[in-house]
Amino acid sequence: MSTADRLGLGWPAVDGVPGRTRTAALIAVAAMLLSTLQVLYFFIDVVGLPSRFLAVVAASLVAATVLARLLTPRSAVALGGVLLLVGLWWYVQQLSGSPRIGELLTDTLSLLTGNTLLRITNIRAWVLGVTPAPTFLTWYFAMRRRYALAVAAAGGTLGFLVLTGDADLLTTLSGVVAAVAALGFGDFDRRGEPIVDAETILVTAALMVLVPSLVSVVPATAGLSLNVDGTGSDTVEASLLRSGDQLSVQGSISLSPEVRFTVTSSEPRYWRIGSFDRYTGDGWVSQTNSRAYGGDRLDEPPGPTRIVEQRFRAETDAGVMPAAWKPIQSRDNPATRVGGDGGLATGAPIREGDSYRVTSAVPAATPAQLNDTTRAYPQRIEETYTQLPASTPDRVGERTERLTRDARTPYETALTIESWLENNREYSLDVRRPDGNVADAFLFEMSAGYCTYYATTMATMLRTQDIPARMVVGYTSGERVAEDRWVVRGQNAHAWVEVYFEEYGWVRFDPTPASDRESARDRNVESARERDRPSVDTNESGGPEWSPTPTATPQPLTPVDNDTDAGGTPLGPQSRPGVNPEDRISTATRVGESPTDTAGTTTDRPGPASSLPSRREAALGLLAIVGTVIGVRRSDLGRCVYRSVWLYYQPRSTPERDAERAFQRLVYYLGREHDRPRRAEETVRAYLDAVDADERAREVASIRERARYAGTVDEAAADRAVSLVDEIVRSRGTAK
Amino acid sequence: MTDTDTTRGPQSEPALGEANRVATQVIENVERVIVGHHDEIEHILTAMLGRGHILLEDVPGVGKTMLAKAVAASFDGSFKRVQFTPDLLPSDVTGVNVYNQQTETFTFQEGPIFANVVLGDEINRAPPKTQSALLEAMEEEQVTVDGDTRDVPDPFTVIATQNTVEQNRTYALPMAELDRFMKKLHLGYPSADDEAAMLARVVSDHPIERLSPVASVEEFRRAQRTVSDVTIEAPLREYATRLARYTREHGQLGVSPRGSIALLRAAQARAVLDGRDYVVPDDVRAEARVVLPHRIRTDTAEQIGAGLVRTALDTVPIEE
Repeated sequence: MSTADRLGLGWPAVDGVPGRTRTAALIAVAAMLLSTLQVLYFFIDVVGLPSRFLAVVAASLVAATVLARLLTPRSAVALGGVLLLVGLWWYVQQLSGSPRIGELLTDTLSLLTGNTLLRITNIRAWVLGVTPAPTFLTWYFAMRRRYALAVAAAGGTLGFLVLTGDADLLTTLSGVVAAVAALGFGDFDRRGEPIVDAETILVTAALMVLVPSLVSVVPATAGLSLNVDGTGSDTVEASLLRSGDQLSVQGSISLSPEVRFTVTSSEPRYWRIGSFDRYTGDGWVSQTNSRAYGGDRLDEPPGPTRIVEQRFRAETDAGVMPAAWKPIQSRDNPATRVGGDGGLATGAPIREGDSYRVTSAVPAATPAQLNDTTRAYPQRIEETYTQLPASTPDRVGERTERLTRDARTPYETALTIESWLENNREYSLDVRRPDGNVADAFLFEMSAGYCTYYATTMATMLRTQDIPARMVVGYTSGERVAEDRWVVRGQNAHAWVEVYFEEYGWVRFDPTPASDRESARDRNVESARERDRPSVDTNESGGPEWSPTPTATPQPLTPVDNDTDAGGTPLGPQSRPGVNPEDRISTATRVGESPTDTAGTTTDRPGPASSLPSRREAALGLLAIVGTVIGVRRSDLGRCVYRSVWLYYQPRSTPERDAERAFQRLVYYLGREHDRPRRAEETVRAYLDAVDADERAREVASIRERARYAGTVDEAAADRAVSLVDEIVRSRGTAK
Repeated sequence: MTDTDTTRGPQSEPALGEANRVATQVIENVERVIVGHHDEIEHILTAMLGRGHILLEDVPGVGKTMLAKAVAASFDGSFKRVQFTPDLLPSDVTGVNVYNQQTETFTFQEGPIFANVVLGDEINRAPPKTQSALLEAMEEEQVTVDGDTRDVPDPFTVIATQNTVEQNRTYALPMAELDRFMKKLHLGYPSADDEAAMLARVVSDHPIERLSPVASVEEFRRAQRTVSDVTIEAPLREYATRLARYTREHGQLGVSPRGSIALLRAAQARAVLDGRDYVVPDDVRAEARVVLPHRIRTDTAEQIGAGLVRTALDTVPIEE
């Protein structure tokens, strides 16, 4: 090795081995870096403009490649540290206002305990500031053949992302497998061993992929299984309300009939819990932080409002604090907090039986008023609530544009989208979670979904038209048990959309078909009652439904219900603006059909995209297969199986070959039977003597001997040899 | 004849049967005289059937002459013995032209080389020139005296002995000449039982005097032809080649192609002895132990040659 090589300054072939191990090691490092950067790219993608991020990555890689020849590792680490500090400093500079160091530290801590990085307000600045250092260091060390350090640099970053919960299982697994491959190949590279000996690395990697996926197959450990498709909780309520600051869209889901709250209110409302402002393509994130509530009166929304007094009694322990939008005052719950969006939250769980009271100022703008608004939104609102991932396909916007081309105002646009979704997508709880952008999939590939899909899609569609919209979760009004009382069950958990209107603030839209949703829920309660499930009913519920106005509970879920005060005529489907003639036709036919196709029956027809494994799954699967094949080859398992088949079944060919193969079967059989294989330098006669073979074996050997050394064998002799061997191998143990 | 190519086509069973009978009966016959040494007798017979010559390396008095005589007598062949001494001349071996005064012509007086079995005793005592006269006859199966070439009898086998005890004033055979012996054998002392049995048989009345032939010269010749027709298939030729190459790779001087040829010819003879018209690896291995060692020079003693052959047999795979 030359001095330059020893210093790791160049990367020529080592000891005549072409640099293939080097290439493999570099590819593995690159794959690992890619896993890490992919998470960061996802952040950037959520807030748009990935080009600058890509430029930063490219620049880091180029710098690492160039500086690998110039810098010593010590100064490279120093440079990496400086890069990170400068990046973070730049990020802090980008923040509006000057946050205190303490706050930053607390934020960082909360990130490490599983709070997604997406909650960071200026995530773009953060990613751009943080990316260069690990990228540079990883590639620098890989270039210098210091693979362990390279893996440490990339792995540290990936580890951070795992702690924040942003690196999903597939990403983590890919990263770890790549790390193992990088270390393995790197080791081979440094020792100058040829790549063909590196099979073990592949076997190890395959095991790493296979073992975790097998764990879930074993019934006893199913609870620990690593769920690749990301479906954790399985009720609508759990998926919507227990996820804290994040909401990830899931696949099939069920309804919980347990009673959560009893609400006493002067009118039925949607009991709102929280909202999400940042759409990530496969879920929602809330960036806002709540603050403690001091008992003061909160801001009323702009525009006309109407006061609604509510009293909530928790029927089970609750970690949320539902209230009608928009709460202006809360009493009886000292742990009340005020969310960044103006909603209520509770810092401590509300115990079963406890009550709290809320006064809300319900927006009461008439459709006519809303229809008069323009797109002059406050800048902060527009910035936050029209964000879309850069990866959102253009066709979402194009389709929305086409659907709403007749809508003149934001209000008409929202109504059009709402009614289109209501009429053109089936309600079903049994769906397969699509890969990629949920809104895009629901719009173009899926035919059915539940509220999360409807709301996500509507919010996305509105945002493509630059209309501020947000995802809202909470409970629907529930079962009316008295004139002013409603029983709210877990199954009433719901997701809808709030759209911002100039001068009137946030207004609720619900694109989910109400009748289908309600019937799914009613049947769920009935079946739960039949099965005597506890907590399905309160003292009041379960009897005949209180129905002075039976149609009141499942109101058409549009702001139309704001009209009650104004006395205006609700906009019927016929008069809704912006519905294309063909859409209206399809709406009509759908209405004509009986709406029985609800949650009970599966209306899920997964599109082609969702049924195929993702590219990463495919890559991991391929790796698993290749590694398994090599492992099987290495472990002789394949040969054992092959040998068994080979031993018991002999296809016929020419007499010479038949005799030879019969003989080989015999020798293999004798070797196994006597635990004494024939040695290569041993003659057949000597071997047969050594294992004390019987006459049949000797006859086979003699037939084969003539075939091989005298060149004389005929069909009959070959037949005889084959049948003798068949006889021998099938009567185990008698060859002795 | 140096051609060992496969000669296909099964032999007529009588020919193989006759050759096998000749070989077996000659061996039995010789064993009536020589007690013990069964393997060596077999080796001598297979060498003769394979048209080879034998070098016996031994202490005096173990029955070398008796063995050679008995073999010759068994197939009714002629036998002559030459005691090699330092003053022995080539013509003492080959014969000379003698002037006949009556006819006024030169008549050729045959030397001892003109016999079916020639015993060259203590060949390493004669000077190289005389040695080479014998060796030339062995190789060419003919003798040239004063420009006239005369064929030696058919069959023709030389059994040469080397005295390894008295090394004074001896001329060790060069490798090139050693190579011309198909086999080198050691008789060695008989076992105690064999020796006692031998004494009982020999002392009063030596049975060699009453040994009658069990085959004719013509039958022996036919047996030789049968041997040369024995099939050697490609896998065996390759095996022999691998063995030879192994000795070349691991010794200072390995087995020559002539050695490989000799190996296969000896193996052919052994196949006939076993009643087969094709050679199997067992034949080659049995013969390799005596055909190859003296052709190998290792860095130390010649005895190591045998060791190298053993290693080769234990290492070289029979089938690739």
